[in-house]
Amino acid sequence: MNKQKFIAELVEELLIETDVTLDTKFKELDEWDSMGAMMLIGYVSDNFEVVLNADDIDSLTTIQSLIQKIGNEKFS
Amino acid sequence: MGATIEAIEYVFPEKKISNKDLQIEFPDYDFKRFEEKVGIASRYVVAKNETGLDLAVKACQKLFERNINKKEVDYILYCTQSPEYILPTTACVLQDKLELRKNIGAFDFNLGCSGYTYGLSFAKALIESNQAKKILLVTAETYSKLIHEKDRTNRSIFGDAATATIISESTENNIYHFLFGTDGKGYDKLIVKNGASRNDFDINCELKEYGTGNKYSDNHLYMNGPEVFNFTSGVIPNFTKELLKKNTIDIDQIDQYIFHQANAFMLNFMRKRLKVSENKFYVNLKNSGNTVSCTIPIALKDYSRKIKTPEKIMIVGFGVGLSWSGGLININKSL
Repeated sequence: MNKQKFIAELVEELLIETDVTLDTKFKELDEWDSMGAMMLIGYVSDNFEVVLNADDIDSLTTIQSLIQKIGNEKFS
Repeated sequence: MGATIEAIEYVFPEKKISNKDLQIEFPDYDFKRFEEKVGIASRYVVAKNETGLDLAVKACQKLFERNINKKEVDYILYCTQSPEYILPTTACVLQDKLELRKNIGAFDFNLGCSGYTYGLSFAKALIESNQAKKILLVTAETYSKLIHEKDRTNRSIFGDAATATIISESTENNIYHFLFGTDGKGYDKLIVKNGASRNDFDINCELKEYGTGNKYSDNHLYMNGPEVFNFTSGVIPNFTKELLKKNTIDIDQIDQYIFHQANAFMLNFMRKRLKVSENKFYVNLKNSGNTVSCTIPIALKDYSRKIKTPEKIMIVGFGVGLSWSGGLININKSL
């Protein structure tokens, strides 16, 4: 998936209302909470067949770190 | 000969907490977004001196105000994780409070969200083995007593309730095959650590934090949301397919899927995985939230109001344990 498309889909999926870049930190988003984590797990599982567990969620920093977790090779 | 769900009643405590009420306590949180995604607008909680048994008595009394003869009840199955005492068995106390016969069976079983489906399958087994003819299946849960007041997530999701169901022997069978699942490795994904045998209740327990700013201690309910979501979305869709197979019925032949009402996002996620259309998949937890073992009977009662011809309904419960169970039932009237 194209990284810009990925960001756009995340913004839609998590109902994020601010500007998001690869360097945006999840924990700095107003919309980031346990519900957001659940929606993120659902989105990633549906689109990349990768299951994020609780530790993965805790260790997430930026959007870029999520891309690494999913696997850089899946992005262009 | 077989077993049939004859009637269901449910009650909530009087105190209702809306998202607006929670907004005052948690001003920085976007409850509008929560309501949209999780599907909960309000939930009920018991008063300080009110218990699950108090609610259960009310639910049962509602049943007996209808044309159900309480002297015919010959077994109580009482599902709770909020027992009246450590001992004795709550079902015994209920027998006396309801003035039911003394020559009947009664026991509690400790299950959460998988409890109602377990109870139905057990009631069916008791009837089919000729050990009982009219079973009172009760679910009563007051998680609000276990949740830390600063635990926004769990306070938003869970609500208290009790339900009472009568399952009777019938000429035509309306309760079909059930299946079960257990994975105790996930015992600590939803847990109250202190207060039973392993760990004493600790008045000086340290305050911990999880998720985004939720507070709790080991005396309180803890839920690992991501892991519970992964368990449910990973296990339940395939389990549902096994249930269809066991009952030799196709996915399209089910009139309504009524799953444990955990949260709307998770339910819709599973619905999409199963490729079931929205009108065949029950999602309604707006008024009362996740009431643990009470969500399925509440949903069945509400859904049955519009039943005109017999409907095949698949019910599936899943959660704390980790434990899951489900089965196929036939409902042909308003319960």
